Amino acid sequence: MGITDLVGSADRMLQRGDYRAALPALQEVINRTASLTDPQGRDTAQTCRFQLARAYYQVGDTTAGVKILEEYLANEPCKEERVALRMMAQGFFDTQDWARIEEISLRLLAMSNLEKEDIYNGNLLLGQARFRQEKWAESVEPLSVAAKMAKEPRIVGLCQIMIVRALVEAESWRELFGWIPQIYRTDSKYDITLNLTLMKAGKARFEDGDYLNALLLYRMVLPREELLNFADSNLQELAVKLEADMKRGITEAEIEERRNEITDIQESKKTLEELPPYEDEVTFRIGQIYAEVKRYWEGYVLFDSLYQKDRNSEIGEASMLQSVLILYDVEQINRAEERILLYLDEKPDGQYARTLLSMMLRDNLIKQNFDRVIAMRSNLDVLPATSDPDELSLQADLHYMMAFGYFQNKDYKSAGEQFSIIIDNYKESSHLSDAIYYRGMTYMMRGDYATAIVDFRRYQAETEYGEHLSAALFREGVCLFGMEQVADAEAAFTRFIDTYPEDVLIAEAYGMRGDIEAAKEATNDDPYTLDRALADYRKGIDKATTSLQASYAAFQAAKVYKLEYKWQEVIDLMNYYMDRWEEDANVAEAVFWIGQAQIELGQVQDAITAYLDAIERFGNDPQQQGIDKIILELVKVADFHLSEEDRDALTLKLKLNLTNIDARFEVLRLRLQVAQALLEGDDIAAALGAELLEDDIDLALTTPASLALMCDTAVATGDTEEMQRLYDYFVTNYEESELLWHAYRAKTFKSLAENNYKEVLWTIDEAQSMFGAEPFMGWAQIVKADTEYKMEDYSEAEASYNMVMGVPEWRGPLFAEAMFGMGNCRQAVGDLEAAHSFYQRVYLLFKSYSDGDWAAKGYLASADVLIKMGREQDAVNTLKAMLEDPYTNTNPLAEQVRIQLKKNEAYND
Amino acid sequence: MIKSVFSLALAGAFILGAASEAASLGAELIMPGGRSWKGQLVGRDGDWIEFSTGANPIRVGASTIEELIFTINIDQEALNEMNRNREYERVISALNRTLAPYSEYADIPSNLTQYNALLMELYYKIKNYDKTLELAKQIAADSRDEELRDKSRIYQVLSLIESGRSDEAEALLTEFGWSSDLGNDAAPEKLYVTSKLLLLQKQYAEAMELAAKIVAFNSQDPEWMQPAELLCAEIYTELGMYDSADEVIREISLLYKNTNEDDQAQQLKIRVDELRAVKELDTALESEEI
Repeated sequence: MGITDLVGSADRMLQRGDYRAALPALQEVINRTASLTDPQGRDTAQTCRFQLARAYYQVGDTTAGVKILEEYLANEPCKEERVALRMMAQGFFDTQDWARIEEISLRLLAMSNLEKEDIYNGNLLLGQARFRQEKWAESVEPLSVAAKMAKEPRIVGLCQIMIVRALVEAESWRELFGWIPQIYRTDSKYDITLNLTLMKAGKARFEDGDYLNALLLYRMVLPREELLNFADSNLQELAVKLEADMKRGITEAEIEERRNEITDIQESKKTLEELPPYEDEVTFRIGQIYAEVKRYWEGYVLFDSLYQKDRNSEIGEASMLQSVLILYDVEQINRAEERILLYLDEKPDGQYARTLLSMMLRDNLIKQNFDRVIAMRSNLDVLPATSDPDELSLQADLHYMMAFGYFQNKDYKSAGEQFSIIIDNYKESSHLSDAIYYRGMTYMMRGDYATAIVDFRRYQAETEYGEHLSAALFREGVCLFGMEQVADAEAAFTRFIDTYPEDVLIAEAYGMRGDIEAAKEATNDDPYTLDRALADYRKGIDKATTSLQASYAAFQAAKVYKLEYKWQEVIDLMNYYMDRWEEDANVAEAVFWIGQAQIELGQVQDAITAYLDAIERFGNDPQQQGIDKIILELVKVADFHLSEEDRDALTLKLKLNLTNIDARFEVLRLRLQVAQALLEGDDIAAALGAELLEDDIDLALTTPASLALMCDTAVATGDTEEMQRLYDYFVTNYEESELLWHAYRAKTFKSLAENNYKEVLWTIDEAQSMFGAEPFMGWAQIVKADTEYKMEDYSEAEASYNMVMGVPEWRGPLFAEAMFGMGNCRQAVGDLEAAHSFYQRVYLLFKSYSDGDWAAKGYLASADVLIKMGREQDAVNTLKAMLEDPYTNTNPLAEQVRIQLKKNEAYND
Repeated sequence: MIKSVFSLALAGAFILGAASEAASLGAELIMPGGRSWKGQLVGRDGDWIEFSTGANPIRVGASTIEELIFTINIDQEALNEMNRNREYERVISALNRTLAPYSEYADIPSNLTQYNALLMELYYKIKNYDKTLELAKQIAADSRDEELRDKSRIYQVLSLIESGRSDEAEALLTEFGWSSDLGNDAAPEKLYVTSKLLLLQKQYAEAMELAAKIVAFNSQDPEWMQPAELLCAEIYTELGMYDSADEVIREISLLYKNTNEDDQAQQLKIRVDELRAVKELDTALESEEI
């Protein structure tokens, strides 16, 4: 058969669709024409090669087809090059020879005048080939072109998925995030492989500290359930469609391709199903990232959702902790605390109980909410025991913070107990040595110097480089001083001064040693004690790091000079102190001392001028308490050193100052009013006190001088509410004032009015511990004794009354009252003889006090006891003696006695 | 520059298309019971409209018409292009010109609603809240498309908020039943408008929590994520959390480059930098005083 016949036969078979039958004929033509070199022969050979390849493809023998196409493409003419290339690529696609596909598709795309379809196919093939070869970055461009040109949504989706995967793998984040909005508008977002890739990439980015990209990747991951549901419905749709299309008739290759697609989805679904649930972990991780990049609120809502979802799971509890941390970051403190308290109530044994409690305690300590810290004690007490080293460390932290809560609230006993817990039970704690030191402080603050010193010494012995070493030595000195081991205290302060010359406490050490020296009796052997004290005080002023330290030394030195009547030295020292500390100096107090010295030097007018000048300069500052002292001193000077005329002039000057004062200087105005009232006498001062109370003056304007007046008025009028209010304000704002005893007196009388005897005694103890037996403190001892009497503790009461007699400064009516009280005590216990004796002493020894009141009371009480003893005549004689006594016969009580005696005589007659 | 000339050309084509339609308005007339005719709207005479299917025009009572489906030849691609370029005023102007011939039929339910919805969004973007509100109310009155109605409600509330009319906005939220159930799974738009209102009322922490919920629980929502992110940046700024605001702005710039939100975020960034500078200055002055 000739070539022409062979070609015609093959063509007919191809037309019939009988591709297999056409194969031998086509091959035969090729065999015969392959060696021909003339154009027609070559054209015939090439046409047959192309047709043979197509026939092989049609019968499913792609390998043979590809081989023929290679020959076709290697020869000329190549009229069907584009189709041949596409077919070849398809052939390699089946065998997954991606390198060849890439090569072929590149050759295809390099051709000129390509049709749209060729461009689309070329890019799709090239993109996939590169993708499969993991040439990630290079695959993106052809896939993008294909995605844009594809008409079938399924292909668009596949391209998008590959692009995203490629961009993730290539770490082309910016480009990737540009694709996100497109992807998330389509079903491509449900692709399981894509989601797993994103999750994996997110994790890797997170671990590399690339939080922003990690966040954006994680955010794209969909919940597992959503992915599985979509996969199921997708599988069902694909299966139904495949079945329908198979009935309609599609090629084997297409069937194969569609089956592969189904298998791919099934496999990815299986992978996903085998994964443990990841949503919570991903959510937690996203929350962490948000918190890390300071998008706190986004983090908070995620952690909160996990916590609300399951409060008992590990991730739920961890989320709770994270949410609280964020709430602190965004200063939602109330919410944070509410959450912590709920957790602690629900789970005192929860794994984060200590951590959370620690956060809350620390925050409140920093904010100085000490009551709040202490209120957490109940939560601390219910934490279960633990042996975990980290938890033990946390537990010690908690006790340490709790201790400081108590310490700052001045509940030193409870603070000491907490420090003891650390010392006794947490020997590995980093707080151990500090706990020892601070426990010492708690004992010291309670006046238990003997116990305190043990801790201070232990701290010094056990801590080589502790931050409180110097302070511990200083406190040791203070304790020794408190224990009246003065020589040892002096030695301790000297050791401190020698060892820590630059310490912040050095000025105080000098001050303390100065006090010790000043208290020493000068002897012939050692006549220079005061000189040494003064030297220490001066060093105290020089070395002080705070004005408070300098002030202490300066004013203590002034007291020493006063003892020695060295008035000019007082003036010089005060000027030195003011020069050294300038505006930080307590100028008002210094002026007070200068004024005192000037008065002693006879420079009264100079003193008054200095006082008035100081009042004017500093009087509007409530914290300049020296001004209040100056006011009282001014009154004293006027009483003892000024003539009536000069006194009037001073009063007038104050009045003028008051008239000219700037309306904004309200504190100064009030101080001047008080000074003027005090100069005009007790009644005017009391009236001012009453007026201030009545006007309900803003306490912010008051200072110790006016507060003292108001306290006294409140006591005089029995206004318990004011007594408490004034006490609270006075104690809170002027804790160091010398007039503070007025506040304690008010508080005492308030408690008395409420019959709260326990509080009366507590308040008096406080007041006496601060002011001791100062002349103005007699009232406290009497009230104390009276209260003990009311509490029927007669022996204590008698002892207390007796103590009054031991203070010479209280001589006067208080003595009479105390003696009378002792009589009452004896009468109460039935010791009438002794009672009679005390009453007798009242009217014999203290006749003149209080216009004979006490003597009159003594006579009457004495007569009463005599009657009880059956000595009626002695009683009558006593009463008659009262009527004859010039101190009592005009007393109002005498009139009743006269009437009674007359009745008695009439009865006897 | 090239882009701008290109857009101008497209806009020209867009307007020409509309002008050619102005003389006779192609429409499908749908009457109750599903009866419909395709033809031309010839004109309007009060409550009557004249409709022609080729023969003599017939008169139909406007109130009896169920719906008019106008054949509007809008160059969607040109419109999209301008929108992408954030040339909102030009889009509005072109759209208004295109729709002008249909204005006398505005009271009859028609497919114009979708264009009005687009206009509503565009007016909101250019901050013309009165116009937004007017269109939103008009759309809300049309009950045919629930989705559009819901959207118009959102824009009603947003316009009131942006106009500072907090009480009216709050009343509407209550009326729509949006002021409760603002949990994690609440609809993002509901969270968004409420957060905006709280921001106006200076309840910053509360506003922030709601905005954070949108971002945290709707990260795959392409519609609400962008505005929500911007809102977060704004509230962080009000809270004085400038680093947080910066972070959100950075993210907007990365994810939503060349969008309206990106433009606003960049403006916000300038404000954040100024506020931070003032804060730093205050801190420095305070520490000097100490």
